Amino acid sequence: MNDSIRACWLSFGQFAATFGGFQMFSLRLLPYLPKAILRPRLITEQIYSIGVLSLVLTMFGGFFVGTMLALQSYSTLVEFGQIDSLGAFASEALVRELGPVVAALLFAGRAGSAVASEVGLMRATNQLAAMELMAVDPIQRVVVPRFIAGVLSVPLLAAIFCTLGVLGAYLIGVHQLGVDAGAFWSHIQDRVDLYDDVGSGLFKSFVFGVSASLMGVYEGYYAAPTAAGVSRAATRTVVITSVWILLFDFVLTGITVPGV
Amino acid sequence: MAPLSHQESANLVEIRDVVYRRGERAIFDGLSLNIPRGSVSAIMGPSGTGKTTLLNLITGQLLPDEGAVIFEGRVVCPCSRQRLYATRRQIGVLFQDGALLTNLNVFENVAFPLREHTRLPEQLIRQIVLMRLHSVGLRAAWQRMPSELSGGMARRVGLARALVLDPKLIVYDEPFTGLDPIAVGVILRLIRQTNDVLGITSIVVTHDVAEAEILADLIFLISEGKVVANGSPAEMQQNESSLVRQFMQGLANGPVPFHYPGVSYSDQLHAMSGT
Repeated sequence: MNDSIRACWLSFGQFAATFGGFQMFSLRLLPYLPKAILRPRLITEQIYSIGVLSLVLTMFGGFFVGTMLALQSYSTLVEFGQIDSLGAFASEALVRELGPVVAALLFAGRAGSAVASEVGLMRATNQLAAMELMAVDPIQRVVVPRFIAGVLSVPLLAAIFCTLGVLGAYLIGVHQLGVDAGAFWSHIQDRVDLYDDVGSGLFKSFVFGVSASLMGVYEGYYAAPTAAGVSRAATRTVVITSVWILLFDFVLTGITVPGV
Repeated sequence: MAPLSHQESANLVEIRDVVYRRGERAIFDGLSLNIPRGSVSAIMGPSGTGKTTLLNLITGQLLPDEGAVIFEGRVVCPCSRQRLYATRRQIGVLFQDGALLTNLNVFENVAFPLREHTRLPEQLIRQIVLMRLHSVGLRAAWQRMPSELSGGMARRVGLARALVLDPKLIVYDEPFTGLDPIAVGVILRLIRQTNDVLGITSIVVTHDVAEAEILADLIFLISEGKVVANGSPAEMQQNESSLVRQFMQGLANGPVPFHYPGVSYSDQLHAMSGT
């Protein structure tokens, strides 16, 4: 029994130390953010490798989530005589929830793990130490551009995800299930609000982008300099980011849904 | 050795009574040594004596628990990050594996410190980088990626990069490990030439006795957290100390035991069988 209590206490201590370390790391990045704008090329390079290279996966995901939404909602909407609202239903679900959440989860799996592995491998092969010894701060040169690129990429990827999702729903709803095209688009126009829906979706994406990017660079930067350490950093990035995204989504939905 | 100006101290690096502990274990316990300007000094010692730790103390990656590491008459650490980086700009470090940035080609690796620390025009950067690559014999390999280089070539590129900001001191961490004899010869020649032609100071952390004897002006032998012997290669060969003789002649038996210290064989067998 004592052993179990001790083990729990040690685990809690370890969690607290990791959480504290993460907070300190996050604060450490803040002063570098304004300076990073002076070297936009470092950020655009990372937007390419983090964001642009995630495009195909995001578009693929968005399109099929949209088609699935149309298929799933069809029978229920028919039952209530609301088949013309299929576009509005799919769009609201995509813009408010599925777009930000699924795009961020895909980003964490594709780009977050890649950032953690890349930075972790730089640690393991002494590249970060070499930078330090060349008087180049690796936080400024390696970490911050990747973080900013991730924060900027996730909302854009979520927007593309939603667009492809609506197109997928349109394709299935209008061309397969016989929903009127005019009704499909006009219901979207009526129901989807720029600030309440699109704005809250983008805000969520921004928060998820900060979480996913921060976790990727943090885990990579402090990865144990071994093959197992790098692999663990990539895994932890995906797992912890996914948990965060779902948790933050619950909290943010509670805040942003009107009347809750 | 390079001639001294009147204002300069004779020693570029001074390590004064340094104590450094890792947990309960003292890696260095009152270590003192001086690295004269213009010299090639070899830091040697059996495995695990803290040679690389000493390198990390000189470059300010580690902070001594007691004592001081002095470079150019100023304490390296503790100090502000800005001052530490100013000191590091005067020190070039060659890692065992070169530690090249894997996403940059050879040219960009050598240009990296120039791009980070200077506002030189592109044409001048090109000239400096090609000159440094030429001096290590790899001008023609400027477009290659680090993954396309052999171990010896990677170290030569690392050397070109370490030299590109014209440092006062170059520190080599195990530069001969894992190289074929030709590559060892090339690196030996480059270290000596670089030191003499550019008039800089070099510290070579190594356990390769034959190479250190060819290369070094001074050898420091470290053991048990202290300098146990120092002098020219000839003086070291004539040293009567049993530890120095064991190390310099590569003897299996001597003060450094073959077996890692621990309980006796029979005690361990009993303990592991639970009897």
